[in-house]
Amino acid sequence: MTFSEIIENIKLAYDSMRSNKVRSFLASLGVVIGISTVILMGWILSGLQSAMDDTFKIIGVDVIYIDKYDWAGGKKWKETRNRKDITLEQADDFMSLIQTAETAFPTIRDWAGTIKYENNNYKGISILGTTHHHGLTPAGETSQGRYFTPFEEDSKANVVVIGSKVASSIFPNNDALGKDIKIQGHKFMIVGVIKKQGTMMLDFIDNQVFLPLGSFIKVFGKNGRSVSIGVKAGGEEKLDVIREESRGIMRTIRNLHPSEEDDFSINETKAFESQTAQIKLYVWGVGIGMTVLSFIVGIIGIMNIMFVSVTERTKEIGIRKAIGAKSRSILFQVISEATALCIVGALISLFICSAIAYSVATILPKFVPQAEFLKPYLPMELLIIASLVSLFVGVLAGLLPALRAARLDPVEALRFE
Amino acid sequence: MENKIIIDIKNISKIYQMGEEKVFALRDVSLNICKNEYVAIMGPSGSGKSTLMNILGCLDTPTAGHYMFNENDVSAMDDNDLAEIRNKEIGFVFQTFNLLPRATATKNVELPLVYSGMPSADRLERALKTLENVGLADRAEHKPNELSGGQRQRVAIARALVTTPSIILADEPTGNLDSKTGEEIMKLFNDLWKKGNTIILVTHEEDIALHAGRIIRLRDGLIESDYINHKQVKYD
Repeated sequence: MTFSEIIENIKLAYDSMRSNKVRSFLASLGVVIGISTVILMGWILSGLQSAMDDTFKIIGVDVIYIDKYDWAGGKKWKETRNRKDITLEQADDFMSLIQTAETAFPTIRDWAGTIKYENNNYKGISILGTTHHHGLTPAGETSQGRYFTPFEEDSKANVVVIGSKVASSIFPNNDALGKDIKIQGHKFMIVGVIKKQGTMMLDFIDNQVFLPLGSFIKVFGKNGRSVSIGVKAGGEEKLDVIREESRGIMRTIRNLHPSEEDDFSINETKAFESQTAQIKLYVWGVGIGMTVLSFIVGIIGIMNIMFVSVTERTKEIGIRKAIGAKSRSILFQVISEATALCIVGALISLFICSAIAYSVATILPKFVPQAEFLKPYLPMELLIIASLVSLFVGVLAGLLPALRAARLDPVEALRFE
Repeated sequence: MENKIIIDIKNISKIYQMGEEKVFALRDVSLNICKNEYVAIMGPSGSGKSTLMNILGCLDTPTAGHYMFNENDVSAMDDNDLAEIRNKEIGFVFQTFNLLPRATATKNVELPLVYSGMPSADRLERALKTLENVGLADRAEHKPNELSGGQRQRVAIARALVTTPSIILADEPTGNLDSKTGEEIMKLFNDLWKKGNTIILVTHEEDIALHAGRIIRLRDGLIESDYINHKQVKYD
């Protein structure tokens, strides 16, 4: 088949669609629905993925957290809760022994604290005690004010650095700096607000406040609280070294016999990633069911219309064959037409989905803050996938009608009225 | 050159199976047609003339016998090769014109060239020239439903001529035309024949057949007679 014949076939497909506008539109509806499902699903997932990536970048892909508990949760929960707490003294020992880390900081936490400002109570805020080293990591970067200083730390000053969500819920006018809040009846002055970090289900990260370690102990006491030690490797490639070094130090500090298992966990942000992977799997699972279904409907719709079209044009096919069209030319002609229908379907879907993506991503987050991870545009790779899928569907839907057309006997076809 | 044989069929039979019964559409027909002959094939309906035309036009293959077209064995060819022979060597003219209704005269005439793979600029040039030769230069952009019957048949003839085929095969070309227009079309065939084309005319009308230089009559799948027409209408 020559290039000029291919061009001719594409023109033919276009003409044929134009002369049957309504029919072509209805035939491609199934494909429109199918491709729209794929695109919208991909759009949500890619938004989710990049939001996760951003969050992980901030909490640090090169940070490990040595903890009594294991972040993976699940079965390990029961066995980890019987472990001995990691004490402040052990944390101090660890900090003095670790060598290759960029920085390390202990954190001690009260999960469900209450903060009082003027006469209002704000519940469910996580209150942490840590050192100024935390302020040197991306997780401690402030958008307003500053992190607390080593001096404030040593003097157990009543200062606090608050997460962005805490700031926005207590101080909607964005004037948190310098204000006094009460934690467990103690007055603390806000010296800094941490940059927004979390997205979606990880937004608890923004719902925390940080006190100097000594100040925390002054308020909450230190008994019954296990310390978590954050260790920043200073590069993802150094993680393995840091992990092993930390493990060795911890085993020494905890006096573990070589035959004993670790009685602590080394957690990484990867733990979150496996959780999001599961969420993504659910989204795909539901989506793929819908997509397959609508593609089957779409393929049948187009196949049906192509069978009708081939029958209607039996005589035309006879004429074409009589003057020299080969079977494969006819085959290609019918498949081009089916594919053109699918491409039109894909274009309609792209248009609809772009409109949906834009309007949902601009409007929805105003009512549902969790939806802010959605992007107002469609990612490029989705457009490519959609075009490829529509080509594939077109060829699939056109194949049987095209074979029927190609096999027509010219004598019989010419006699058709 | 006068005697070069273009069509050489030997002992051709075509048998259709109708349920239990075998129907012989053609029985052992042999026939030669030379370059620049003007042949009329005649016969009542059921005589086998349509079957013979389909076989001569490479639209159908015989059940038995040999068909040599320009020294190529057509009876041994597959569908693809037959399509190529039809495209390059045979120009069809049908009773019902068989133009594509949605395409302009030019596009209809270009069609065989599309299938022979000619680039579109050359195609357009050839098609326009051929339309001019059949006297339709001013109707090039009209669609079939904007043309009269005679004009449509001229478009069909242009389409048949555009590939400069070895033979022109016309099946009742005046059957759907009034007698005056029919006469004009027959004059056009006469001109084409005088220019050196080989023409095979299938008809059941005596006065149309008289335009040909040789008349072959079929009956019940056999050649009944094959003679030189001394009363040929030549428009001299």
